[in-house]
Amino acid sequence: MHPALESVFNEAESRYLNANELNIVGGYVESIPDRLEIYRILRDEEVNILQPVVDQLQQKFPASEAKRLERSTKNGILSLRTCAMGMLLNDQGYVQERIQWIKQTQKNNSLEDIDQVFYPLLEQQLNKTLGNLKMKLLQDIFQQVQSALLSDESSSSSSSVNSSSSPAAPDPVDELNLESLF
Amino acid sequence: MISVADLLVDGRIPGNYFATDAYVRSDLELGLLENRRGDRLLAIPDTLIRAIYAGLEKETGQATRLVLFNCGRWWGKNFYARFGEELTDYYGSPLAEMSMSDFIQSLKQCWLTHGWGTFDLDQTYQHRGFLIVKVTHSPFASHSPNMSRPVCFLETGVFSSFFSQLAGREVNCIQISCESQGSDSNRFLIGLPDRLQGVSEMVDAKLSHEEIMGKLCG
Repeated sequence: MHPALESVFNEAESRYLNANELNIVGGYVESIPDRLEIYRILRDEEVNILQPVVDQLQQKFPASEAKRLERSTKNGILSLRTCAMGMLLNDQGYVQERIQWIKQTQKNNSLEDIDQVFYPLLEQQLNKTLGNLKMKLLQDIFQQVQSALLSDESSSSSSSVNSSSSPAAPDPVDELNLESLF
Repeated sequence: MISVADLLVDGRIPGNYFATDAYVRSDLELGLLENRRGDRLLAIPDTLIRAIYAGLEKETGQATRLVLFNCGRWWGKNFYARFGEELTDYYGSPLAEMSMSDFIQSLKQCWLTHGWGTFDLDQTYQHRGFLIVKVTHSPFASHSPNMSRPVCFLETGVFSSFFSQLAGREVNCIQISCESQGSDSNRFLIGLPDRLQGVSEMVDAKLSHEEIMGKLCG
């Protein structure tokens, strides 16, 4: 739930909502039909939105990068679904936790260069599919996702694989087979 | 050619299985907390952890560490089994096909969502056959009695068991830094038993984790 709405609802046991708070609730309720319409478009047109993006990606990257392109595409699908739900709920907090996960996956699989191309192309395709008016409701959430994934910051304060101050270590093992490690 | 339709298996793209708002659920009628698989969860207040330490100290004295370590061993074995099942079911592929980075990412989130603090895996010394697990904000470190030594016996047991299962061979775990002693995090050194010979004595001699790793890998 949108944090502003959640805090408003949690006040119910103390008091009735004031005029301003009722306006917040009313504003969200009035926007629900539009949000549902956009959500349905994103759901029903998912493949039609993403396939042209993926086609263009494959033109820009060599065939040898197919595995990374696939992983980036899966992340992209997840990102778009997260955007859709975040837009429906009008909840950037919902998006934030999930995008941190996708950011870490991006880092684990070294997808940054592909994503730098993917998300601007996706934005173009979304503008084309939704049009300016409908895109307005999705814009903030999409910008939140795009900024997070295309920034240089690490996904969290600590990373999964930590190579600290000790002597230079070889690349971490990425196979889930620790038997040979020990 | 990559087909978006083909990437969607049953229309699904698996994400963060252990996302907090998706993983922890409550049953208001029965008064139960459950995970998304229906297994029961329990909220444990700080005072209960303190009470467990106090009760064990009173009844078992110096054996407290061993009791907690063995509890951790048992927990770790079952935790590994459940963790593996949950990931296998969710991602629809065997654990062996999962990359290390994806596995550790899930383990990090699992640790966090359960309220056990933060979890990181340091692979700096992996070429020497050692892994270091770093845990911060451990509830066990913050509520243990002052023992002037590392005190996360439960977690030590968990990791020794968990990583033994993962590696398919017996590995030991020794805690080499502790938040209860002012360290920035709790560090758990994992390796083959014969490679960890002498580490307990170094910990008892109050060597820092850097000194210990220096002696082991120097």
